[in-house]
Amino acid sequence: MTGKTEIALRKRRFEQLVGVLHRDMYRYAAWLSRDPGIAEDVVQESMLRAWKSLDALRDDAAAKQWLLTIVRRENARYFERKRLETVDIDDLTPAQSAMIADGDTSELDEVRQAIYRLEDDYREPLVLQVLLGYSTKEIAELIGIKPGAVLTRLHRARIKLKELHDRDEAA
Amino acid sequence: MSNYTETMNCETFRQAVTVDPADASAQLRSHEDRCSECRQYREAMQQFDARLRQALEIPVPPIKMPDLALTDNVVPMPKRRITTSIWLGLAASVTLAGWLGLTMMSPVEPRQSLAEEIIAHMDHEQDSRVVTNVAVPERTLASVVNSDVAELRPGIGLVTYAKNCVINGNLVPHLVIQGERGPVTLLLLPDESIDAAISLEGSNINGVIVPVGKGSIAIIGVREESIEDIGNRVIESVKWST
Repeated sequence: MTGKTEIALRKRRFEQLVGVLHRDMYRYAAWLSRDPGIAEDVVQESMLRAWKSLDALRDDAAAKQWLLTIVRRENARYFERKRLETVDIDDLTPAQSAMIADGDTSELDEVRQAIYRLEDDYREPLVLQVLLGYSTKEIAELIGIKPGAVLTRLHRARIKLKELHDRDEAA
Repeated sequence: MSNYTETMNCETFRQAVTVDPADASAQLRSHEDRCSECRQYREAMQQFDARLRQALEIPVPPIKMPDLALTDNVVPMPKRRITTSIWLGLAASVTLAGWLGLTMMSPVEPRQSLAEEIIAHMDHEQDSRVVTNVAVPERTLASVVNSDVAELRPGIGLVTYAKNCVINGNLVPHLVIQGERGPVTLLLLPDESIDAAISLEGSNINGVIVPVGKGSIAIIGVREESIEDIGNRVIESVKWST
């Protein structure tokens, strides 16, 4: 196989994987960083890293886990580089506000705001479970904590969100 | 995965359901069959989870693909003066390449056909074909059949397995539903356009790849399965998003 053909095949493989999974990458990055602009940067960086190390991915069926791991690392690097401060819900940029107030209904916006307010430790496993369909074991592997800790975080995350939601409904 | 293996009471049931409202373990189902309040609790949590999922699905902007040409891992070799020994080596390489080129002019092995690849995949994933009445969690299904790729209608029936698999270089949804005679595998192939149905035959399987819109769907059951009936149901229940 010539070098050009090899590169073309590699590009095709990469574009097919990213074509299917870029939505998951973006949404995961957006909920990790809580900023759509940062999420776009993180996804761009992650794509470049994924392209450079594509040969390390032996089985394309494992691509989702592989790409989300890269997104997670890139997000951590981004925040390390920029030394960003914690986001205050009352002091959001227009893009951040749009992220949590872009739903079709005010009820959906309220749920988004509640998720947005959750501590990172609770929000991340919830996003992985509810949005990305991960099992407890897979979440534990990706985040690098014990499965028992994942169960605790998921439990607390839902209790907190449910309380906020019920309070809003009562009001 | 449930860690709540001790005797199931209302408290442990609710803890487990709060961790994962889609947990379909036998212990949880057995408890909720006996306790209507806990069943209602689970239903409320499942409804809440559906709202959470909807809220988490924020709109995705068009993502620009990076310029891969600029990032190719080509490390430039240091410049070297070409000596006589290098010239001799190059000449030998050219001769060898010419000889190899002539001897290897035989036709390249043809690429595995779509049908062959699907049958090989079936052999590879035999564990997915089990008779069960336990549905795959809704969010796992939604994550495998991304709404940007296809929409599944409830008429498709009980989906008991869902995973993304690689077929013909594309990552595609691999589902299993329950047929009259056993499990039936579905491979949703939005990018595989075919002109006419292709029949699939293998050891103890009976299947077909049917054209659906711009793509196709492979439907494979056991030999005794009536694929035509299931096929009609599946075609009615899958709608490509693009």
